[in-house]
Amino acid sequence: MKTKKISIGIIVSVVVLMLAMPVSAVAEEYMIGLSLAITGPTSDAGNPYAKGVEDYFRYANDMKLLGKDTIKYEIRDDKYETAITKRNFEEYLDMGMVFYLNYSTGSTLALKRDFEEVKMPTLPASYHAGNIEDSDYVFLPIASYSAQAIGLAEYLVANHDGKTPRVAMYVHPSAFGRGPVEDVKAAVKAGLDMEIVEVVEHGKDLDVTGMLQRWKSKNVQYVISHTVQSPVATLLKGASRMDLVAKSFGEKGKITFMGAHYTGGNDLIALAGKAAENFYWTTSFITTSEDSYAADTQMALAERYGRDDKTANSHNYAAGIIVAEVATEVIQRAKAKGEEINKKTLYQELLAMNGMNAFYSGTAVGPVTYSKDDHQGVDTLQLYSVQNGEFRAVGKPFIPEYTDKIK
Amino acid sequence: MSANRWLATGNYFTTYREEQRIFFTHIDRLLFAAFLTALFAWPLFIEASSKYMLIFDNILVAVIAVLGLNLVTGFGGLISVGHAAFVGVGAYTVACLAQIIGDQHVLITHAWPLMIVAGGLTGAVFGLIVGLPALRLRHLYLLMATLSFQMIFQWVVGFMDFFNQGQFIYVGRVYWFTGEVGRSVHYNFWYYALLTTVVVLGFGVRNLLRTRYGRSLVAVRDNDRAADAMGMHPGFTKVSAFGLAGFFAGVAGAMQAYLNRGAGFETFTLHESIQYLAMTIVGGLGSLPGTFFGPAAIKMLDLQMENLAEWAGHLLPSSLDLATGLRPLSFGLVIVLFLMFEPRGIANWWRILRSYVKLWPFRY
Repeated sequence: MKTKKISIGIIVSVVVLMLAMPVSAVAEEYMIGLSLAITGPTSDAGNPYAKGVEDYFRYANDMKLLGKDTIKYEIRDDKYETAITKRNFEEYLDMGMVFYLNYSTGSTLALKRDFEEVKMPTLPASYHAGNIEDSDYVFLPIASYSAQAIGLAEYLVANHDGKTPRVAMYVHPSAFGRGPVEDVKAAVKAGLDMEIVEVVEHGKDLDVTGMLQRWKSKNVQYVISHTVQSPVATLLKGASRMDLVAKSFGEKGKITFMGAHYTGGNDLIALAGKAAENFYWTTSFITTSEDSYAADTQMALAERYGRDDKTANSHNYAAGIIVAEVATEVIQRAKAKGEEINKKTLYQELLAMNGMNAFYSGTAVGPVTYSKDDHQGVDTLQLYSVQNGEFRAVGKPFIPEYTDKIK
Repeated sequence: MSANRWLATGNYFTTYREEQRIFFTHIDRLLFAAFLTALFAWPLFIEASSKYMLIFDNILVAVIAVLGLNLVTGFGGLISVGHAAFVGVGAYTVACLAQIIGDQHVLITHAWPLMIVAGGLTGAVFGLIVGLPALRLRHLYLLMATLSFQMIFQWVVGFMDFFNQGQFIYVGRVYWFTGEVGRSVHYNFWYYALLTTVVVLGFGVRNLLRTRYGRSLVAVRDNDRAADAMGMHPGFTKVSAFGLAGFFAGVAGAMQAYLNRGAGFETFTLHESIQYLAMTIVGGLGSLPGTFFGPAAIKMLDLQMENLAEWAGHLLPSSLDLATGLRPLSFGLVIVLFLMFEPRGIANWWRILRSYVKLWPFRY
C-alpha cells in the first residue's frame, strides 16, 4: 500500500513538474517576412537591401541573440509590383508572421489598410511621409524624404553667402517624388529664406542641356534632387559637361547639386563618375567610406556572409541591416520581459522605443526612436559630399528644424 | 446530327438553328454543368490559402477583361493595346466615387453590384469614344490610336490630384447578407462574385455571337467591305465592339478595385495591356474557351517565372541583374512560340482533345 502511494506521488510530481516547466525551454521560431524588388525596377537598391536583412537575421541566429529561439525570415521578390507584394503579405500572414518588412511606396500605401486591420508592425524601405499618415502600424526606419529635403534646404540656406538663394527642385515623376516638394514649399512659407525657382519632374531624357541652360538663365544656384540615382547621374554629367558644377559649396556662378537618400550612395558615383564630385547628399546612414566602428561592423557582416564589395559598401545594404536590427531588438526586449512574442507585443515594444529605451543601430547616425506620435525612426541626418570619388561627411549629424515647424 | 442528343457522335446539322446551339450534345451540357459545379464547390471542401485564392481571383478578373478584348480583337479583328486603361477606367470609377462620397458610404459598401455595373458602363463610354477612330483607321493605325488612349490615361491618373496622382485610393469593404465581408472571407467572397460574373458574361458573349450582331462582328473582321455589301453596318459594329470591350474591362476593373480594396496607378500600365493581349493570343484569338485558357496560362507562367527569377536573384551576381530579365524573356518567348507553332492558341489544343475524346476509339 505504501509503495503504491509513493508511486502515485512520483507520477503526480512528474506531471506537476512537466506542467510547470517554462515554455521558453522549447526553442521557438519567430516568422518575419520581407517582400521587395530583388529583380525588376529598383532592384539595384532592393538586391543589397535584401542581403542586408538576410545577413543580419543569419547573424542573429548564428550568434544566438535570441537564445535558443530563432528568426525564421522569408524574403520574397515582388518585382516592384503591388499585386505580388499583396500576395506575399497574405502568404506571410498564413505562415504566422509577427513582424513585416515592406519595400516600395506604392505597395506600402496600398497595403496600409491591411497592416491596420491585422495590426502588423511594418517597416518599409520607402521613407515617404505619406506612409505614416493615418497609420498606427507603419514605422519609417529613418527620417522621411520630406525631412531630408528640408534638411538639405536648411543647410543651403545656412551656408549660402549672399541674397536669398535660388533653388530648383528635381524630383521623381510620382507621388514618391512630389511629396517632399509641398513640404519644402511649406518650410519656405514658414520662414526658410530661399526661393524655389522651378520644380522639374524628370523623364527618361539622356540629355538635360536645355533644362540646365534654362536654370542658368534663371540664376539657379542650388538643385535639390529627390529621385533615384540614374536621372541624377544624367543631370550631373550634363552639368559637368557644361562646366556648371560648383567646385565648392555655393560657388558663385555655378550650381551646387544636392540630393536625398536614394539619389546618392556608391551607385551614383559608379554612374556619374567624376561628374559626381562635390555632389551633396543626405541620409541617416553611416557610409563605409568614412572610418568608423559602424562601417567596420557593416563590412565585417558582409565579409562573414561572403558578400561582394559593391553590396558591402552599399547604403541600401545598411538600410536592410537597420530594419532587421530593429525587428530583432523588439523581439529581444519582449523576451526579456517574459512576454509572448507576437505582433501585439512587438508593436508595443516599438512604441516604447524612445528616451532611455532608444535603440542604437550599428548603421545609422542617430538613435532609432518611436512612440505613439513618432513613427520616424532615426530623425538625425548626416550630410555627405563626394570628394575624390568617395562620400565624405560634411559637418556633424543634425536634425532639421522646419520639419516640426510645418506640422 | 443524331436525333438522340445523348448518342450523337458526329455533326449532322440539318438546320442553322441546330448549328447555333450552345451545347451540341447532352453530354456536353452535363459535363459543363459538372465542371461549373466543381468550380463553385471546391472552396467548400478544399481550404486554399489567401495567397492562392488571390491568384484565382486575379485570374478571374483577367478572364473578364480578356472576354472583352477577345470580342474586339479576336472576333472583331480590331487591335486594341490600351485594354488595361479601360480596366483602369472601371477601377477608378469606383475608387474616385469612394474618394468623393467616402469609402465607407453605403453606395460603395452595400450597393457594390451597382458600382460594378457603373464601372462597366463608364468603361463602355470610354470604349465607344476610343472606338470612334475605328470608323476610319485599321491595323497599325488603330493600334496607335488605342495606344494613345493608354498613354493619356497613364498621364491623367499619374498627374492629376483628383486621382491622387496615381497613389492608392481606398475602397471600403463590402457587405453581404451575412454582414461585412471581413478579411477572413474576403478572397473567397470575391472568388464567388467573380466566378458568377464570369459565367454570366461568358454566356452573354456566347449568346451574342449567335445573334445577328455577333455574326456581323465576325463578318466585319473577315472583310468589312463584303460585310457592308451584305447589308451589315461595319461602322456601328466596330464602334460598338469597342464599347462592349470597354464594358467588360470596366466590370473587371471595378471588381479588381473591390478585390484589392482600392485602385493604384501601377495596375493599369501599358505592361498590363500587353499582358492582356498576350493572354488573348495564347488562349486563342476569336475563341471563347481561349478566353479562359489564356489568362490562366499567362498568370500561372508568371507565377512560376517569379519563383525562378527570385531563386536566380539570390544566386546570380546582383551587379549583372540577370534575374530581372528572366520574366520578360519567358513572356516574350511564349508569345513567339505560340505565334510560330500554335497561332490558334491553347483553345486549339482543347479542340483537338475534344475531337479525340469524341471520336475515340476511332482515329477519325
